[in-house]
Amino acid sequence: MTPLDLQTPLGATIALLPEVFLTLGAMVVLLVVAWRHRTAADSRLAGYLALWALVPSGVAVALLWGGGARPLGAPFMVALDEFRFVSLAVILVATAATILVSLGYLEREGLIAPEYYALILFAASGMMFLAGAEDLIVLFLGLEVMSVSIYVLAGYDRNSVFSAEAALKYFLVGAFASAFLLYGIALLWGGTGSTGLREIGARLSTGELPLLARLGLGLLLIGMGFKVASVPFHMWAPDVYDGSPTPVTGFMATGVKAAGFLALTRILFEAFPEATETWQPIVAALAIASMVLGNLVALSQRSLKRMLAYSSIAHAGYLLTALWAGTHLAAGATLLYLTAYVLTSLAAFGILGVLGRGGERDVTLDSIAGLARRRPWLSFALAVCMLSLLGFPGTMGFVGKWAIIAAVVQAKHLPLAVILVVTSLVSAGYYLPVVMAVYMREPVAAASHEAARLPRQAAFTVAVAVVVLLFFGLLPAGALSLALSTTSTLVRGALAPLAGIGR
Amino acid sequence: MAPWLASMGYDQWILHLLLILPLLGVIPVVLGSAAAARRTALVVTLAELLLSLGLWWAVDTRPGTLQLTASIPWIPAWGISYAVGIDGISLMMVLLTTLLMPLCVLGSWNSITSRERGYYALLLTLLTGVIGVFIATDLFLFYVFWEVMLIPMYFIIGIWGGKNRLYASIKFFVFTMAGSLLMLVAILVFAWTVAGGTGTLSFAYQHLLDNAAVAGRSAPWLFGAFALAFAVKVPVFPFHTWLPDAHVEAPTAGSVLLAGVLLKMGTYGFLRFAVPFFPGVAMSAWVTNLILVLALIGIVYGALVAMVQPDIKKLVAYSSVSHLGFVMLGIWAATVQSLTGAMMVMIGHGFSTGALFFLVGMLYERRHTREISAYGGIARVVPVFSLLFTVVALSSIGLPGLNGFVGEFLVLLGSFKTHPLAAGIAATGVIFAAAYLLWALQRIIFNRLDQRENESLTDLSVRELAVLLPLVAGILWMGLYPAPVLRRIEPAMMRFVQTVRGPIGYMNVALRAPERER
Repeated sequence: MTPLDLQTPLGATIALLPEVFLTLGAMVVLLVVAWRHRTAADSRLAGYLALWALVPSGVAVALLWGGGARPLGAPFMVALDEFRFVSLAVILVATAATILVSLGYLEREGLIAPEYYALILFAASGMMFLAGAEDLIVLFLGLEVMSVSIYVLAGYDRNSVFSAEAALKYFLVGAFASAFLLYGIALLWGGTGSTGLREIGARLSTGELPLLARLGLGLLLIGMGFKVASVPFHMWAPDVYDGSPTPVTGFMATGVKAAGFLALTRILFEAFPEATETWQPIVAALAIASMVLGNLVALSQRSLKRMLAYSSIAHAGYLLTALWAGTHLAAGATLLYLTAYVLTSLAAFGILGVLGRGGERDVTLDSIAGLARRRPWLSFALAVCMLSLLGFPGTMGFVGKWAIIAAVVQAKHLPLAVILVVTSLVSAGYYLPVVMAVYMREPVAAASHEAARLPRQAAFTVAVAVVVLLFFGLLPAGALSLALSTTSTLVRGALAPLAGIGR
Repeated sequence: MAPWLASMGYDQWILHLLLILPLLGVIPVVLGSAAAARRTALVVTLAELLLSLGLWWAVDTRPGTLQLTASIPWIPAWGISYAVGIDGISLMMVLLTTLLMPLCVLGSWNSITSRERGYYALLLTLLTGVIGVFIATDLFLFYVFWEVMLIPMYFIIGIWGGKNRLYASIKFFVFTMAGSLLMLVAILVFAWTVAGGTGTLSFAYQHLLDNAAVAGRSAPWLFGAFALAFAVKVPVFPFHTWLPDAHVEAPTAGSVLLAGVLLKMGTYGFLRFAVPFFPGVAMSAWVTNLILVLALIGIVYGALVAMVQPDIKKLVAYSSVSHLGFVMLGIWAATVQSLTGAMMVMIGHGFSTGALFFLVGMLYERRHTREISAYGGIARVVPVFSLLFTVVALSSIGLPGLNGFVGEFLVLLGSFKTHPLAAGIAATGVIFAAAYLLWALQRIIFNRLDQRENESLTDLSVRELAVLLPLVAGILWMGLYPAPVLRRIEPAMMRFVQTVRGPIGYMNVALRAPERER
């Protein structure tokens, strides 16, 4: 493929084909549901349409990636490198899984309002812009498109007070975070005269970081910290995760977090590779606070949904730890861990969705006791998810964690590595009881778990996720080299992932 | 190697087959009927035992180095391989494992009555994990096996265990994981440090061992992390508190495997990794003194606590703490004799404590109580049981002519040369062992038959004899004619001594082993 000139309309359109197709698909879904929005069959139709709408976008990603698309000169507005393609792939997978899980869930909960699927697609296109942005303005637009859709989705269960609370809370806090982000972008523009990531990087590479840029970077980190739910910007997360319909929670924990981290990776590696002294302490502080607080508070949760919410805060901490190192291996580790986390959480929330009713707010350890007796495969999948979140060998979660520790060790920050493993140990205190309740306790009532049956589509999603987790847990070489090769364009001058080992 | 083994290419495939066979066995166990699960598991474990017996002749233990090595790249970007190898130490541990496993299946025959398929599938998975720990020669692979084998044991305790099983299983899991997570960081730091010094990132055992000196000032921290992981597993006092809970709550086979094999993974870790990697730290005066003191506390404390237990199973559990103290003493005395003795204790403890747990389990199946006070005078009712119980208890005490004696005597003899005071204190452990076991024997088997329930006890069945007789035969064989075993252990121990003695004095060329050989 010849290099695309992103400054021309044609070049930009080709480069943006995945996003374009997805947005068009969302509009088609929206049009269709304008006429068909009454029955469960209509809802199903919208769901399958949305699923099919992902296909052209996926094909576009595959063609661009396979064709080795690259920009003519410096990338403009949107990135055109392998890291973007792999980011888009992760987001598409998360979206597809969310749609598949929602199909059965919405019907069961009587949430027949098929605009849901259009919103999911709009949110996904926002995520794609966010993760692929090469310019802070595009990044902001993507973030807002994503966030607005998710605000609505969080409040989708109109009959639930908690869902309404979740939507309002998320909206207020989200608007607050957007303001920080926007102000940060403005200050960065003031300090460097540009909003392009690589351009900012080029201007900052000579000499001292201007005060304005430093402030801008700080505000940017705060804004992103809100979006990825890192401590101390996490207060919204438990209530919002808890109140939203479970598939939406899964989408927030995977899609939103993934897009946020992918964007953050790109910002830090492309715009601020020279400013590590400024952002490393902040990122380290956020990481430590998230790991410690997320894991400790998760310990005391009774509801599984809240437990997973706090654990997702802890996982944001692990990912920030990976980012902290700022090396090529760190970028690869972030991508690897993020992928493992996304797959695990999709499966975990998918399973959670059938364990209870009415938003699964009241699913506790007691209510899943003895699940293995009646639902052996479901229990097995849940156990694999818990072990993968725990970072246990044999699962992809371990490979990701190993990569993070390797990156931190390589960058010679032992305390961070030790905090990571110690807090991981704490997390055993809430992941294992789940496994224990499922396998080692007796069901509370004889008829328990009758209804805990995954609908076909959700079962397919969970099964695929679990198989992939185990496969890459045992044979991680391919995933690792992919993570390293796709992140190589982010890092200037770093040829070998292990260059400068031990120094 | 015997020609008939060589003609089959035995050395080419045996180690891989030992790892894969139990996992393959899991498939028919899970897919078959619940009743067939135990038969399938027995067939698989017996096949594993038969296959592994060839190692006795196939492994050339004379050079003391790893044999039958094989290495296949696994994650090339990180220098991680699937690499296995075996020497005298691993050989004994592997054979102990493969011998105990079919006995465990047989021992669980009637006592496991719910969810049999899961149980036997977990036992087989555990077998792979344990063998993997003993033959892995890549630190990543070792770590994976080390952690993975936690899961089956966690489930075995947690599902088929006693009343307090949930607490015991999570305690077991968390204690072990706490140690090993720091080891994970240490492995990474160590590999990256060595990579910085040599330019090659590799987790291969030999590569790290040859270049361990690069670690320099970080060596004490690295040793500490490794040592913590292994000390929890052994368990060294004060990390032993998970052991009584886990042993008592686990089903019989679980206790047998915990005591017989899993504890040895800790001492094996010291012998294979922690001490040879960082001999300068491990054998420094204060670490030596610390470990010796902890080992002695373990020996004496374990024995004293065992003495006052009203529960037979708990008594046996605490006796493990005491016995494993001897192993730690033997390792840190670091003479060929003490090390060989430590190895003999490891093997002998597997036989005698394994047999004791089986016997306790058989008693429990009959009376559903493990209180010592519930028994008394049962020798008249169950003579065969009582005879075997006595033989096994005597071997655990260390009576000459039985296997326990060989190990403990060698440890005491070997450590007396370097640490006479420690050897003297440890010797009291033997006396205490005699006290608690003989006293227990007296209260259970002899005395007066004063409980009516005991009058109707049935003696051992053929199946139970089939479980116990191999162990008793091993106890007698290693007590009377230990030479073939000793011959296979000693070279590896000489090499160990060469590695660790170097830095502390009279053979300071040991780190540059190749030059000395010239």
